[in-house]
Amino acid sequence: MVRRSFTAVIEKNATFSAPFETEPYETGWAEEARWFVRVLELDGQLTLTPQLSPDGLFWCDDEKVPMVVRDKGLYTLSLRDFGNWLRLRGEFARASSSAKIMIYLALKE
Amino acid sequence: MSMDRRLFSAGMVAAASASGGQAPRRTNAPTPTSVPTGPLPYLAGNPELARFNPLKRILFHDDFDNGINGWAELQANHNGNLDDLRPLLKDMRPPQLSSCTFFDLGTHGSLSGTYSLKLATRPKPFHTAVGVKRFTYAKPCKVQMEMWFTYKAEQTFDGDGNWDGNVSPSELNFGDFTISNDVSEGEAGPRYQCALRYMNTDLEGKSLQKWMYKTSLHATTKMERQGITAQTDDYHVLKTTDWADVPGGYQPLCFNEIATKVNWHYLRWVFDIQTRRNVELQVNELTMDLRNIPVPVYDQGYRSLNHLLNLLVDVRTHKSVRNFLFIDSVLVSVDA
Repeated sequence: MVRRSFTAVIEKNATFSAPFETEPYETGWAEEARWFVRVLELDGQLTLTPQLSPDGLFWCDDEKVPMVVRDKGLYTLSLRDFGNWLRLRGEFARASSSAKIMIYLALKE
Repeated sequence: MSMDRRLFSAGMVAAASASGGQAPRRTNAPTPTSVPTGPLPYLAGNPELARFNPLKRILFHDDFDNGINGWAELQANHNGNLDDLRPLLKDMRPPQLSSCTFFDLGTHGSLSGTYSLKLATRPKPFHTAVGVKRFTYAKPCKVQMEMWFTYKAEQTFDGDGNWDGNVSPSELNFGDFTISNDVSEGEAGPRYQCALRYMNTDLEGKSLQKWMYKTSLHATTKMERQGITAQTDDYHVLKTTDWADVPGGYQPLCFNEIATKVNWHYLRWVFDIQTRRNVELQVNELTMDLRNIPVPVYDQGYRSLNHLLNLLVDVRTHKSVRNFLFIDSVLVSVDA
């Protein structure tokens, strides 16, 4: 059997202008995960922090250095040993900022 | 166990152990159309298949311990620009492989093994998560979809203590789930959709627990580009009130008291591509004759959908609480 993989599109051309968290996503079957964030429009600086959860309800930051987005383009961050749930937390460096983004979560056994 | 890597499962649910997830024996259930004809010989000794009652030919058997099996997020039409996605269909959420892990008991697991297919809404009133399996049909025939499923509302922490210890208020946080199809005979023939909804609560949150069928069709991308405006609370229908009761369709299911205990249910739905009608729906002990239920048909043809056969499952919340539909496994069979 080949190793299974799955890519979930977590956000599609979504525009954020305030702090946000993505919807919880179950990842218990996967050994490796990689976030891809395609920034289509950006006004300000956006920091994206991967978060982990044991139950999809209560969350903490991953120990990794978060992604800091200062311009349009494709950004990525990989994770291992992440437990059963993942999401991204986003926050802007200043008020009156906004970002239009695609978010993918690529998972592999 | 088909998936190589497993999660720790704190305890097996009762239905998954000694009972082996037995489907209701067809001899015990009223079957107005008697579609299945009896256990097929190759089912003997195969508990993964023996919990189903397939028609003559199995098209696919999706055990979600094996992966996502082609159940994808329902995607709206576009021409390369995702800004053009219609609001009605722009956010149907990616399906997940779930271990049914909860904050209080840990991993529940599925009916067999660890994983089930999970559809999860956002915590936003009338948000809907939709999974679709896309294939085509070879010739008009009866199609039967069977699945083992359960449903839950996400745990909330705003209880006021006004609780009798039996029926959890969280049961009223679950809105509805629907099974449906999308069938098109191509340019020369009609396109139609059957949809059967379990309405757990009404739109005000009162318990209903009944099966309904839709009486209209949602506006397609083509229709919207022709000027029809679609509502955004119910992707199945033109108007949100376009649903009618399935005769004899009142059926309390087994929510099992709280938000974190899951009990798997058996469902068997038959429709007929030859007559363009539903045939029947069986859910556990209840079998509903659907042959006289009207099926809405689009009034214009659709190109590039020749012999389209899509099966869909969805879950819709009525409140600001995530709703989940879990499917342990699906089997689809045909009589030709």
